[in-house]
Amino acid sequence: MGTVPSSRIHRLNPLTKLTFAVTTTICAFAVVDYWWPLLIFCVVLVPVSIAAGVLRRFSLMLMALWIPVAVAVFLIQGFFFPEAHHVIADFGPLQLKAEGVEFAVQTALHIAVMMGGFFLLLLTTHPGSLMSTMSERGISPSIVYIVAAALQIVPTLNRRATSILHAQQARGQRIKGLYGRVRALVPLIGPLVLGAFTDVSERAAAMETRGFGATGRPTSLVAMADSTAQRLSRAVMMLCAAGAVTVNVWGVVR
Amino acid sequence: MTLRIQSLVFRYPNGTTALDGVSLSIAAGERVAVIGPNGAGKSTLARHLIGIERPTSGSIEIDGRSTEGLSIAELAASVGFVFQNPDDQLHASTVAKEVAFGPRNLGFPPARRSQLVEAALRRTGLADLAGAHPHHLSFGERKRIALASVLAMDTPIVVLDEPTTGQDHRSIQLLENVVDDLSARGRTVVAITHDMEFCAEHFDRVIVLAGGRVEWDGPTERWLAGTEDPARYAYELPQMTRLSHRLGWREPVGTVAAFLDRLPPSTAGESA
Amino acid sequence: MINIKDFSFTYPTSTVPALSDLDLDVPSGELCVVLGAGGAGKSTLAGVISGTIPHLTGGTASGAVQVNETTVANEDTAHLAAHVGLVMQNPFNQISGARFTVREELAFGLENLGVPRAEMNERVNAVMDELRLTHLRDRSPFQLSGGQQQLLAIGSVLVMRPAVVALDEPTSQLDAAGCDLVFTALSTLRQRGITVLLAEQRVERVAREADRVVVLEKGRVVATGTPDEVLAREELESWGIAPLRYTIAARRAAERHRWPTGRPLPVTLDSAAEGFGGMTSIVTAGGATA
Repeated sequence: MGTVPSSRIHRLNPLTKLTFAVTTTICAFAVVDYWWPLLIFCVVLVPVSIAAGVLRRFSLMLMALWIPVAVAVFLIQGFFFPEAHHVIADFGPLQLKAEGVEFAVQTALHIAVMMGGFFLLLLTTHPGSLMSTMSERGISPSIVYIVAAALQIVPTLNRRATSILHAQQARGQRIKGLYGRVRALVPLIGPLVLGAFTDVSERAAAMETRGFGATGRPTSLVAMADSTAQRLSRAVMMLCAAGAVTVNVWGVVR
Repeated sequence: MTLRIQSLVFRYPNGTTALDGVSLSIAAGERVAVIGPNGAGKSTLARHLIGIERPTSGSIEIDGRSTEGLSIAELAASVGFVFQNPDDQLHASTVAKEVAFGPRNLGFPPARRSQLVEAALRRTGLADLAGAHPHHLSFGERKRIALASVLAMDTPIVVLDEPTTGQDHRSIQLLENVVDDLSARGRTVVAITHDMEFCAEHFDRVIVLAGGRVEWDGPTERWLAGTEDPARYAYELPQMTRLSHRLGWREPVGTVAAFLDRLPPSTAGESA
Repeated sequence: MINIKDFSFTYPTSTVPALSDLDLDVPSGELCVVLGAGGAGKSTLAGVISGTIPHLTGGTASGAVQVNETTVANEDTAHLAAHVGLVMQNPFNQISGARFTVREELAFGLENLGVPRAEMNERVNAVMDELRLTHLRDRSPFQLSGGQQQLLAIGSVLVMRPAVVALDEPTSQLDAAGCDLVFTALSTLRQRGITVLLAEQRVERVAREADRVVVLEKGRVVATGTPDEVLAREELESWGIAPLRYTIAARRAAERHRWPTGRPLPVTLDSAAEGFGGMTSIVTAGGATA
């Protein structure tokens, strides 16, 4: 993840990028309209992803994860938005309503900004340095461990699932068609889950013998570069976020 | 059933060549050990036999019929494949059910199925554990279950991927009996192994792979007699081979029996 | 050093003791090899020394276990980490999964113990150098071969500078090349003066490397001594351990008076060659051409 190209953005302290992701998200949600998140997306996120040289992967990741969410939001809100009256289209028992569609577009764009901010963080940050930063900030080692392990578990499980499926087929299990696929799941889940359990208990023992859970504050191998400019920019971003929240609350109160 | 591989080339999507023109033919009932250093292509070759990998070019024929287009499940009727890690294949709640999984998938009638399961459990020394949960057993026992579950499919060809790894003496003895028995019943056994004692004592033919090519192919005895530079292959030769080398024998042997046959008559011993 | 007195242990799910009345003394800097069939108690013994048994498994234990003058029962496992390291069969499960490069993985234990960064860097670099892992420093631990992963596991233990290391069949799931890596690492441990307890199946390696051999059968010590004393014994096979081919050949040869009378049965290539050497000049001349 995020290791191949190395831009100035890659070298930033992960905390700066985390603040950036959080700030853009808060700002996007602060104003309830669709032009505002769209503006943030186009004027802030896209240029940053170009500067970091990750535009392609950024777009692919967004397409893979945002489109399904956006479609779901569109269908649910478009058809079932409460208190909506203006029917745009009629599909028998279901009616697509204007208020729902408007809300769906707003929500989907907000989500796009949120996802975008965090994808940029992931794409430009080595997970190791992110974990080190978290430890340095005094976040509990168990939480850091869980986050870090979760980042690596998917490819591992994937490899294992593939080997298990091959082994099942090698014993004559056919996985053609929907029925075959469902049937193949049963023998897949057993070894996957049992294997994971064995792994976890063994790993727990190994981790303990390496001092995990020792009392006292752990240290961190990787030192994260930081600078006055970065600290300042984080402060400014946090001010922006606070401002956005104020604007939002004030708007609601008014 | 003859197994014929012709000019098999396999390249990974990233362009790395794993197999670079492998041709060989294995007759029914042969016991063949495939050996060679890490990354020589041994596992890749074995995975082609069951269709997990497909040739980039070249062909694989079983009994004169190309395996192209056959699914792994279809190939499973002719090729039994015992994976190195048993935990990838065990899923049932009892040993007996686990072993019955293959024969059931192959559609054997119930009577034949239970007969095969029973025989497979007996041959692997698991008869007393038929009702046990596989995950409660030791690694060696799980590895034997994996072997039994393939034996029960009664395939004409059996492929074993590193069968002796992590096995204790008793498990290896059971495995050795299985190999000898399969061969006696006319089944072909192909084993990928780095266990040279196992190779020398139970396999008639050795295929040495290196860099994705067949570097040597022939009778085990002849291979042992001709090997002089074991370090080159990243494995240790059988103890008796090293001993006969050390004694300066012109034709080193691989097994204790062969070694004793070549010893001088008893009078020589008395004089020492 | 390892000092075990009258120790018994039963797992919580079992009624049969996994270890019974065990006495074991391993002086500092010795390599003690534990042999035995599957289920004889080898892994349990390794776990007992590292403190994971019974700390993590539960079960009932009696007797005393001391490692490096620390009573294992009185310390929690995390603090024992500074005295004793454990290397297990499956290298994959010893990787923390929370570090992304070999270098960071090696530092994991030191981070947990709160070792300052400068010292951490120095110790990690030293271990990478010793175990020849430096070229892999920026690789993901998950992208290593089994042998390299096991080497990494040994390195992660070595970096803690323990006085004692227990290894539970570290080569059982490795190929020949992986085995070589591990045995080379073992000699590094010995050069460092670390006391090593190694559960193993590969008897030939044992005969060459071990200072002493302990045989377990059903949780009891049935034999102990130097490799020469233990490995040539006739009962070896009945304990579930594969005898060396050298020993078998010499025993059968002796039955037919083809092994020098009174000479102990060999457990190494060298002693076998010496024993047979005296009588094979004739063979070189004639027999071998048959």
